[in-house]
Amino acid sequence: MHQPALRIGIDIGGTFTDFVVFDQSRGHYYTFKILSTPRAPEEAVLDGLSKSDDQIPDAQSPIESIVHGSTVATNALIERKGARTALVTTFGFRDILTIGRQNRVQIYDFFSDRPPPLISSEDCFEITERVDCNGKVLTPLNEGEIPSLVKSLSTRNIESVAINLLFSFQYPAHEQQIVTALRETGFFVSASSEILPEFREYERASTTAINAYVTPILNRYIGNLESALRETSTDFRIMQSNGGSIRASQARTEAVRSILSGPAGGVVGALYTAQAAGFNNVITFDMGGTSTDVSLSEGEIQVTTEAEVGGLPLRIPVVDIHTVGAGGGSIAHIDAGGALRVGPQSAGADPGPVCYDRGGCEPTVTDANVALGRLAPEHFLDGNMKLDVGAATDAMEKLSGHAGLIPSPGLTHAQTAALGVIEVANAHMQRALRVISVERGFDPRDFTLGSFGGAGGLHACNLARELGMQQVFVPRGASTLSAFGMLTADVIKDYVQTVMLPGDSSYEELERLAAQMVKRGQREVQAEGVPRNLTTIKRDLDMRYRGQSYEISVPMTPNFIQEFHNAHDKVYGHSDAAAQVEIVNVRLRAIGAIVPPSLPKSNVGPSNPAAALLEYKRVVVTHALVKIPFFLGGKLRPGHAITGPAMIVQPDTTIFLSEGDSVTVDEHFNLVIRIALS
Amino acid sequence: MLDPIQLEVFKHLFASVAEEMGVALRRSSYSPNIKERRDFSCALFDSVGEMVAQAAHMPVHLGAMPLSVQACREIMEISPGDVAILNDPYCGGTHLPDITLVTPIFADLHVLGFVANRAHHSDVGGMSPGSMPLSQEIYQEGIIIPPLKLVEGGHLNQGVLDLLLANVRTAHERAGDLHAQMAANNKGVDRMTELVARYGQDEISAAMQDLLIYSETMTRRLITALPDGAFRFQDVMDNDGIDDAPITIAVTITIQGDEVRVDFSDSSPQSTGSINATSAVTTAAVMYAFRCLMGLDVPSNSGCLSPIDVIAPEGSVVNARHPSAVAGGNVETSQRITDVLLGALAQACPERVPAASQGTMNNLTIGGLDHRTHPPHLFAYYETVGGGMGARPGKAGADAIHTHMTNTLNTPIEALEYAYPFQVRRYAVRRGSGGKGLYQGGDGIIRDIELLNSAQVTILSDRRQSTPYGLAGGEPGKAGRNLLLRDEETQVLSGKTSLEARAGDIISIRTPGGGGHGFPEN
Repeated sequence: MHQPALRIGIDIGGTFTDFVVFDQSRGHYYTFKILSTPRAPEEAVLDGLSKSDDQIPDAQSPIESIVHGSTVATNALIERKGARTALVTTFGFRDILTIGRQNRVQIYDFFSDRPPPLISSEDCFEITERVDCNGKVLTPLNEGEIPSLVKSLSTRNIESVAINLLFSFQYPAHEQQIVTALRETGFFVSASSEILPEFREYERASTTAINAYVTPILNRYIGNLESALRETSTDFRIMQSNGGSIRASQARTEAVRSILSGPAGGVVGALYTAQAAGFNNVITFDMGGTSTDVSLSEGEIQVTTEAEVGGLPLRIPVVDIHTVGAGGGSIAHIDAGGALRVGPQSAGADPGPVCYDRGGCEPTVTDANVALGRLAPEHFLDGNMKLDVGAATDAMEKLSGHAGLIPSPGLTHAQTAALGVIEVANAHMQRALRVISVERGFDPRDFTLGSFGGAGGLHACNLARELGMQQVFVPRGASTLSAFGMLTADVIKDYVQTVMLPGDSSYEELERLAAQMVKRGQREVQAEGVPRNLTTIKRDLDMRYRGQSYEISVPMTPNFIQEFHNAHDKVYGHSDAAAQVEIVNVRLRAIGAIVPPSLPKSNVGPSNPAAALLEYKRVVVTHALVKIPFFLGGKLRPGHAITGPAMIVQPDTTIFLSEGDSVTVDEHFNLVIRIALS
Repeated sequence: MLDPIQLEVFKHLFASVAEEMGVALRRSSYSPNIKERRDFSCALFDSVGEMVAQAAHMPVHLGAMPLSVQACREIMEISPGDVAILNDPYCGGTHLPDITLVTPIFADLHVLGFVANRAHHSDVGGMSPGSMPLSQEIYQEGIIIPPLKLVEGGHLNQGVLDLLLANVRTAHERAGDLHAQMAANNKGVDRMTELVARYGQDEISAAMQDLLIYSETMTRRLITALPDGAFRFQDVMDNDGIDDAPITIAVTITIQGDEVRVDFSDSSPQSTGSINATSAVTTAAVMYAFRCLMGLDVPSNSGCLSPIDVIAPEGSVVNARHPSAVAGGNVETSQRITDVLLGALAQACPERVPAASQGTMNNLTIGGLDHRTHPPHLFAYYETVGGGMGARPGKAGADAIHTHMTNTLNTPIEALEYAYPFQVRRYAVRRGSGGKGLYQGGDGIIRDIELLNSAQVTILSDRRQSTPYGLAGGEPGKAGRNLLLRDEETQVLSGKTSLEARAGDIISIRTPGGGGHGFPEN
């Protein structure tokens, strides 16, 4: 049983493909990065797997499992390089994707447009049939039309077909008939009643179309990888957007479920490490070069069914991540009305901020941090990249000139402008953090801020303070957290069924309706190799007051009506016990528990961090230039404690502690920071 | 004066107050019209009722909301814990379905500012379900609410609420939506109170004033960049639904330096039917047109209007006198006012202005008894239908989309058929309806709805005779058509009509295409 076996998490990013290898026999982790190969992402994966031989002492150990987060499906969608796809709809509704919700994205811009549908209108086909809202057939399916449909699809070189008939979630038989006919003729087929048996035809069609569009691409990719793997017994899994993982063989047919797998892995990893450290309520904060992702977990990861990818609605449950277009590379400028703006333009990685000295000449958030002395120029990215402090300072000084800023007492023009850039960038971040918490009915003060992006450590403590959050948590290995998270991800399968029942329906009836889904969930989780006793089933009801058009999810218990009133009161501040209630959807989540890898641990030692002290340097803290200590994160040991102002320099991020903020290193080498709240 | 940093920080703070109000309103409201179609707006005002920040929801609410706050200030003594309600178009409102709630923000017993939200209710009583009737005086359009206290000193004024609910068709839904509106304002006040605790009331007040100046500065810059001169344009509404004569909307935009005069004096007198606009609606259209030329990311606040002088003679169709009917002014005439404004501005900056879009909202209201339940229950359905967008210089117009003064979502067919006794037979792009041009105008929409019960149907639409103009040699878009399919026969309905429909009737709304841009290539 305990033969040495490796478990590997792989996350393909735009620049690097990250590997986290867990050697179960030793309890050791090995992490490394390989340059990504965007044209053929599997090359970097295979390259990394072979290189793991050099990295790992016992390289000949068999690979037990690989969990793989993939941008293949995401990129196919964003770059519009998916399969040639057709849509089949009920007669009268072929323009469903073009019309969408008939709204425009930017109301004050004549020239902006909604992203065009994935399927051009010439590739949308109608078929004669109609079902009503109760699932009653009004017009039977005219099967006689199928042969000519097949012919049109073939002449138009269609590879994949999305089928979205009205009310198919009530009566899937018509879709099934078409599925059978088309699969026989060799098309990839995605039926809306299989992907998302839920009402609202446009969003369902959009989700089904995304699946049809990316499935052939992911399928080819997985096929290439599988045939190249050295062992056939390896459990090869794909990370899902809902925070779980499934077998690659399953993922191949429902690619839509892995569209947001990379960011989901990060959130899963962050919550896993935070929970191991004793923090159950976490808001994750992943600030990168061009954008920042935030997400909230209250004991468990929050999922949403209202996500959008590339402007297209995606209604399957995905980890609820809110993204704002501001990061370390965001460019600061003074606008025509005299306000200091940060973003949405970004210097990106190339040319990058002014201080990278690669031709960037517009001041960025990173330049502001450099001008304030908050980044150690010799230690940036583990010393692999020098920072030009002078150039960053000049850029800030120029900005100050444009803005006509009056320097604060004791500070230069450049420093004053830099503080301003940080303040405005933080205003963006704060707004994002409020969206994910306050707007969802949560109080940020009940949460710990989990920071794991490269640029986040410089901002996290001050943001937490602004929002009244008492703690910041920086996990060890923050830069490969997504790949790590994939190793810890359970098998998660989500199901939904629109039922549209009155609130006075009996619990027994709901149980009966849910029973089918429960069976299916158990069967499919077992097929993933998880034994029955490690499978949990969670059932929820999407409910609303009659006449409302927005549902909230409550646990399915015999007391579901009261649960709904309570939830409504919590989220919206009022409820109405006398009002009629509707049960819109039954939702089910089947979770197969994976034995998670243990975290490296070390005994807690003395608190004096002198061994990790790097140097004392002058840094602008709040509103004054102060000489403060810089510590090398790599030398910090469990038990070490530091009180700010101080800087902690890690290979992948730098953490800025303001006056009174105090950090301790926990037994897993995470940084736990207590924020000084006024 | 705030420094450039504080200016930007407060811009974010105030915008997020308005946005969080919007989230609260949308999430807790009852009716599809507010929640699903998002026909509402939320905004923050200073102590004299100038709008400081508005969440980007409905353009037609844009410049119009400050008048609501100002009406409340003039009429009542507002105390802490009060919430004012109004919909009177002649006293702070626009048309009766738009109900506005205004709540003061107090700091140390001084009024620091106000928050307000406006939502379109799908029925406020009156002569036809849905309250978008072919009326001839405002009394037919529904219950008129002058500024009143819905909440006084923290206590709900049940009498006001009961009176209101007794006058509408779907009282339960109205009550739910009004509670959501109160919740939204409470959210706004809570947020502002937090900000006052953090920054102090003096700084908040100063920030509000500076943000007004900021938007004014941006607007003046835009105007300065436009060539000086007088630019005139006119167009027509088909009719007012009562008399069959076209109604002229004419504008002369005079640009001089960093100021503009927008003069509607040559427009028709107010009409008998319900297409009259109040001055609030006209102002909103003016603000929208200039706001669009400005580019993204300028706070939409009262400062945008400071350099603009709007002349809309009282008693004209763009500034009607009490008690004229106004139900359609907000939704139909506002679109034509926008069309003429853009027609004039196209002469000043042709490279930035599109050809005419569909120029109507195609308001469809259906009401009656839903016999699918026992006992049957009353329903009121209201929806607007998108159409073709005018072609842009260098770019075709979008198909099947809402343009200019509205941006409401459609009701999903599957949601519609659960909620109402209808069956949608067709929902499609109306191909070939966009005007030809070097760049093609966008196509309109066809929406065919079969009624399963008899019901009263009211259509308020325009551009059924006149057509959306093309620019720079582009051809006009096709006019819209409203059809009734009954017993295998097709009748053409007029643009503004009300009828008793029978079970089995199909109402077909075919919306106009947008105008083309540039001479078509042969």
